[in-house]
Amino acid sequence: MALPIKYNLRNLVVRKGSTLATAFTIGLTVAVFLMVMALARGIDLTLSSSGEPLNLIVVREGSTAELNSSVSREQFNDLRYLDGVVKEGDQPLATAEIITLIYKPRKGMSQGSNVMVRGVGPMSFKLHSGFQVVQGRTFQAGLTEAVVSKRISERFQGLDVGDKFRIQTTDYTVVGLFETGGKAFESEIWVDVNSLASTTNRETFSSVLLRVNDANALSALSKRITDDPKLHLKAVSERTFYEDQQGVASGALKVLAGFITFIMAVGAGFAGMNTMYAAVARRTKEIGTLRVLGFGRMSILIAFLLESMVVALLGVVIGVLLAMPLNFVSTGTSNWTNFSEIAFNFKVTFDLILIAFIFGAMIGFVGSLLPSIRAARLRIVEALRA
Amino acid sequence: MRFAKLILKNVLRNKLRTLLTVSSLVVSLFLIVTLGTILTEFERGSKEGNPSRLMTRHSVSLAFLLPIGDLQRIQAVQGVKAVMPFTWFGGIYKDERNFFANFAVDAKKMREIYPEVKMTDAEWQAFAADRQGAVVGKKLAVMYGFTPGQRITLKSPIYNQDVEFIVRGIYSGNDEKTLFFHHEYLNELVASAGADWAKDKAGIFAALANTPEDVPRISQEIDAMFVNTDAPTKSESEREFAASFEAMMGGVKKFLYGIMAAITFSLLLVMGNTMAMTVRERTKEVGTLKAIGFKRYTIAGLFLGESILVSVVGAAIGIGAAVLLYRSVDMSYYIPNFVSFKPEPETVIAAFVLSLIVGIVSVGYSTYRVTGLTIAQALRSTE
Repeated sequence: MALPIKYNLRNLVVRKGSTLATAFTIGLTVAVFLMVMALARGIDLTLSSSGEPLNLIVVREGSTAELNSSVSREQFNDLRYLDGVVKEGDQPLATAEIITLIYKPRKGMSQGSNVMVRGVGPMSFKLHSGFQVVQGRTFQAGLTEAVVSKRISERFQGLDVGDKFRIQTTDYTVVGLFETGGKAFESEIWVDVNSLASTTNRETFSSVLLRVNDANALSALSKRITDDPKLHLKAVSERTFYEDQQGVASGALKVLAGFITFIMAVGAGFAGMNTMYAAVARRTKEIGTLRVLGFGRMSILIAFLLESMVVALLGVVIGVLLAMPLNFVSTGTSNWTNFSEIAFNFKVTFDLILIAFIFGAMIGFVGSLLPSIRAARLRIVEALRA
Repeated sequence: MRFAKLILKNVLRNKLRTLLTVSSLVVSLFLIVTLGTILTEFERGSKEGNPSRLMTRHSVSLAFLLPIGDLQRIQAVQGVKAVMPFTWFGGIYKDERNFFANFAVDAKKMREIYPEVKMTDAEWQAFAADRQGAVVGKKLAVMYGFTPGQRITLKSPIYNQDVEFIVRGIYSGNDEKTLFFHHEYLNELVASAGADWAKDKAGIFAALANTPEDVPRISQEIDAMFVNTDAPTKSESEREFAASFEAMMGGVKKFLYGIMAAITFSLLLVMGNTMAMTVRERTKEVGTLKAIGFKRYTIAGLFLGESILVSVVGAAIGIGAAVLLYRSVDMSYYIPNFVSFKPEPETVIAAFVLSLIVGIVSVGYSTYRVTGLTIAQALRSTE
């Protein structure tokens, strides 16, 4: 015969201070877990959403990033007219871009980070979808003008509309701010590719982007370019290219999340155990009475386990509520692949919340198992005499 | 101290509870010391850099290189003892996961500019004599089994080449996870790779000033010298240079402080809850003590002493375990980019003070309430 759940809930209300303290302890553990994982998830999602599935990015063989790659003008001309590249009218959907870095101080600090500057051509706006000017206008081809991502403009000094920044000996004027729907490009500054080439005295491009019709064409073209012994180039799907950058920053964060939450969970488990032992001790007489009334050992065990699971779940709810506002927080760190800033939002995703619930329930279960067994094993006579 | 024995008896009255509370404290403080040490390691470069050393780089960013000819002009600045090129190579040993820094330098000047890099005279000479020679830090040698005379190949994504080096020395110093090789050798590679953009260029110039006081003036003079050239420079002390890399981490540092605050708060809840239970259960006793003439403050002192004793014991074990562990196992072998993993005295003291505060605060409210009861109220308690 099971004890009504109302019995547990009322008990929790009676010792509400203790209930809340335990729930909050579990809640904070869950919140820390969610915080670190949401940071890692934010980086991952930003990078994985950046590559378009039907874009092929071409870099020099052996390059690990666009920054240390180079593709010559002749190579670009060969690449864009290859079979399988989508055409718009008579123009192939292909673009060649140049990447460089500028060091900028963060707002309110004297030190800062590298911001990626991408020289783009007219086709770039078609190949990177989602580009949208949110303030001012876009740059004019041939001029030393720049559009800055809104996030970068918010995080670094001197990158608002009307400001100037210097590359080599040339001043660029910021004429607008843009967004790209959360992609890695929101960590960049875009300028005209030809102007950047002359500013930096570069004869080669950093990368070439090609649009293909379907997945088959993508793998065929990628193989053709990579296997061509004369080209010395490497072609991969843009999606894979960005996903491969995930590991460095978010991998370390995930290890950290695991380490911190494991230790915090052990601490919370001990705290939960303490509370439950106290609850059992205080209710010894009560347990005796319940046993006399005919409730079996199993019912007592389940009742106490259930009681602490309720506390644990309350804790998870508190933790999730504490972590949810992070979804609106934007932050940035270094993407070590390119030595440049990557700006992103924390992402408390559904699967993380699900993991948090399982995790919280485990803390509740493990923490209350021993005290519940003690409650169940009490002998009626002794319990009543307590 | 008259009550020391009583406090100890009280602590041991509910052994299981004390054990669980102490365990909770132990793991939390272990974690706080660990996170504190991670923070220290993030900031080590900017705190411990040589104050007489300065670094010159391209003012736009490190992606732009400086003409090697700048070296002579920097050398001529008054107060500069020595200067050498210091260029990031970015070579990868076998697999990207084996990341370690590698720089092209001037082997002859390195000893003067980096006096903390220690090798035997024979090793310095062997390094200088071999164009293909390289020296590696002690930790790298342990991690990858590098031995003098060994040929090692680094894959360079920047120059798209596999480059062979011969280990000529194993140095000890602050950062023992770096490989240094000859800048002349880099120049040859640049030529054979056809990387014209890097021809006769250096990424950074590392210079040693006569005194730390000279550094700001020298930095200004160097930057003024190149301001109107194709490659304007930014010079700063090594510490500021390191700080600029630390700032690249962005929000991560603040984030770690946030986690530490959450752990502390959670600890406060755990201790607060336990102490509240402990104090409440003894309400009747408080009545008795009061009845036989104990003052409120004495009784409060007993509770306070008990709480502090528990938190100090927990803290001592937790902090001690962290310090012992990180002293005996150098975690920097396992964490990329970390050159050391040493809990600093500041971290240890801060953690200890934190545990004291937790001990005091957590017992405050319940003690205030229970010891404030009148004798009759306390004795009538049903707890």
